[in-house]
Amino acid sequence: MTKEKKKGYVSFVLHAHLPFIHHPESEDYLEEQWLYEAISETYIPLLLSFKKLEEEKVDFRITMSLTPPLLNMLDNKLLQERYIKYLNTHIELSKKEVERTKNDSKLNALSKYYLDRYTNDLHVFRDVYNCNLISGFKYFQDLGVLEIITCGATHGYFPILYVTEQTVKAQIAVGVQTYEEYFGKKPRGIWLPECGYVPEADKYLKEFGIDYIITESHGILYADPTPIYGTFAPIVSPEGVVAFGRDMESSRQVWSSINGYPGDFNYREFYRDIGYDTDYDYIKPYIASNGVRVHTGIKYYRITGKDCEKDYYNLQWARDSAERQAGHFFDSRNSQIEKLSNIMSTPPIILCPYDAELYGHWWYEGPYWLYVLFKKIYYDDCNFKLITPSEYIDKYPLMQVSTPCRSSWGANGYSEVWLNQTNDYVHRHLHIAGNRMVELAHLYPNEPKNSLKRKALNQCARELLLAQSSDWLFIITNGTMVDYAKKRIKDHIGRFTKLYYQITEEKIDKDFLKDIYEKDCIFPEIDYMIYY
Amino acid sequence: MPKKSKEELKEKDTKITKTTKKSVAKNKNLSTTSKKKNSSTKKSSKNISTSTKSTVKSKNATKKSSTSSKKSTTIKSISSVEYYDLPYRYNETVVKILAQTPTTLFIYWDISDADRNKYIEKYGEDFFYTTKPILVVTNKTKNYSFEVEINDFANSWYLHVNDSYCDYSIELGRRPINNNKIDNYVYITTSNDMEMPNNHILFDQLGKTVFFKNIKNNFVEEKEISSISFIKNIGTVHSIYELYKEIYNGEIIAEDLTSNNLFLNLSSSNSSTFK
Repeated sequence: MTKEKKKGYVSFVLHAHLPFIHHPESEDYLEEQWLYEAISETYIPLLLSFKKLEEEKVDFRITMSLTPPLLNMLDNKLLQERYIKYLNTHIELSKKEVERTKNDSKLNALSKYYLDRYTNDLHVFRDVYNCNLISGFKYFQDLGVLEIITCGATHGYFPILYVTEQTVKAQIAVGVQTYEEYFGKKPRGIWLPECGYVPEADKYLKEFGIDYIITESHGILYADPTPIYGTFAPIVSPEGVVAFGRDMESSRQVWSSINGYPGDFNYREFYRDIGYDTDYDYIKPYIASNGVRVHTGIKYYRITGKDCEKDYYNLQWARDSAERQAGHFFDSRNSQIEKLSNIMSTPPIILCPYDAELYGHWWYEGPYWLYVLFKKIYYDDCNFKLITPSEYIDKYPLMQVSTPCRSSWGANGYSEVWLNQTNDYVHRHLHIAGNRMVELAHLYPNEPKNSLKRKALNQCARELLLAQSSDWLFIITNGTMVDYAKKRIKDHIGRFTKLYYQITEEKIDKDFLKDIYEKDCIFPEIDYMIYY
Repeated sequence: MPKKSKEELKEKDTKITKTTKKSVAKNKNLSTTSKKKNSSTKKSSKNISTSTKSTVKSKNATKKSSTSSKKSTTIKSISSVEYYDLPYRYNETVVKILAQTPTTLFIYWDISDADRNKYIEKYGEDFFYTTKPILVVTNKTKNYSFEVEINDFANSWYLHVNDSYCDYSIELGRRPINNNKIDNYVYITTSNDMEMPNNHILFDQLGKTVFFKNIKNNFVEEKEISSISFIKNIGTVHSIYELYKEIYNGEIIAEDLTSNNLFLNLSSSNSSTFK
């Protein structure tokens, strides 16, 4: 165990987010499956890794943002039931696969692995966590190894919203309130949606008790005045918000599409799935209800190489690669910190933020890699320790005063992903709806509790927040599932505008309000007066 | 914000529709633009390039709205019929600007029917035919302005500006088509202010001292840069490049830190990965 003196710190931050997708009116929305895939491939594997580390008495630290839409979905009874249904369908399919592959021992072993895995997911979800994964994460937060932070209410992208500042304030306020409802205390940190930083948000971050934010590397490197320790120490803005910047080297090791870890040839190939590979009539009950082939999650091949015939996935080889790469990451941080600590007056912090869903969903072996790495950091000789941003701030409260640079973690570092010629028609609607929400709060302040008008005003706030999700803009730019994203924007702006007129004309349609609340039931406790 | 009377509120925008019909432009001059970027022009005197969105009138507006309901990747069993289209316009006079990149502004605008009538009353029936719309771009930090000619078929624009990390605002106005006399300019409205993001390390602005704050007790101390080991160790402030190069074993070239190339590679796979 750790004999060498610690010279610096490594901080992992995983951003867990999915947009709010909830369609009680139909079970046929494929987009709803994002949640089920993320639970099976990322959230449960992470919780199981944490559990294993706890059982093995490995002291580790990790930070996760669980965004308000994700928390609302994980807490939603209908979605919990549908996830169980999803698992039962997958167990049924896995059983058929065990039968189908019985003449191929390698494939058969893999199909049994999937059967085990989905069966275990069902056990963990239903029996261990009583369908409530939030309590699973809370357990590790209470244990002191996991720091959970919040995010903007619906992942609204601040650099676009802040032309009406109250809408940024509301994103922060509702993000903090949701966190408090689930975790019984205030969050110390916030993951700015898409790492989108604007200095105008600082005063609201402070107002709602946020200590720190995470920015992309240039959020720190291009800050004013230049932070003399680069991204290796946090800075504090004039308003008092601490900003940690993403480390470039460790990011590159994981993200790089050329030589990043997830591209290892032994790792599971994401794009070969029995949803596409097996006989159509056989797989038809397990793909989209309109007959379109989709991913099932059962994948039998490894990446193998570029443009070549794919080999079967080998669990042991994949584990070997993960262990080797964990060793590489460990050594790289060790030498990085060695160099830095010689020239810094405070111990350097290497901040490693990633999308949580990278771990497990895209990089199937990611959660295992993390488990091996954390174990290595605890047991092997090294010059660094894992830390959370909060712990670092408490230990080293002296930091340079500097204003972070307006930035994001999207392609090219600014706002092009969320503002370009494919999606720029949306922004005026978001701005107008934002202004109208502020106007409604001023026209009808403090409506009596349980009054119809108050319910309508609160629903307006929900519709506005849902329209603001950066996810819709991202999907439109990305070019997949575009129709769904466009429809969501139209639905939320449409419902908002319809309600806006119903309220101002004193003609609220009770049935309409009830119907849209059933669909858009996020933030049951919201108070529209945050827009006042 | 100022409260609006109920009467004012009743002066509605083009309302949400349950069909796509209403998206046909009421007013030719204000029809929405197509998404094609078909030209870019340069203001030679100011060396500012502008890119325009092209201008196929209401045809495109109709086309745009009618494509959206089809080809859904999801199949919906409809419980209650609910169909919305985005309001075609909100009938208010507005110019808004956003920063797309440190040197690209996105601008959108509209003029309300009431304001249009006001100008017609004041300047005559053909006011909007004898004048052209312009954007007056002001760099408030460096204190200069320039004009960009736009057209009545567009309602948004991307505009390149030379100076990042400066405050900008934009004025929408009109000038006679065949008369460039400055006093014939008609002001319409002004945008929000927008500080463009910074896009380089601010070495030049780094003074001799920096401030450190203890965030526990808010005590601020001044530190001379020359006394800070990080800087001392690498000689001059400008060598921060060298430090990063050394740390990253030559993986990152100095250019990466002054341009955004790095982020192309780093960030493209970010964001929510499920989509």
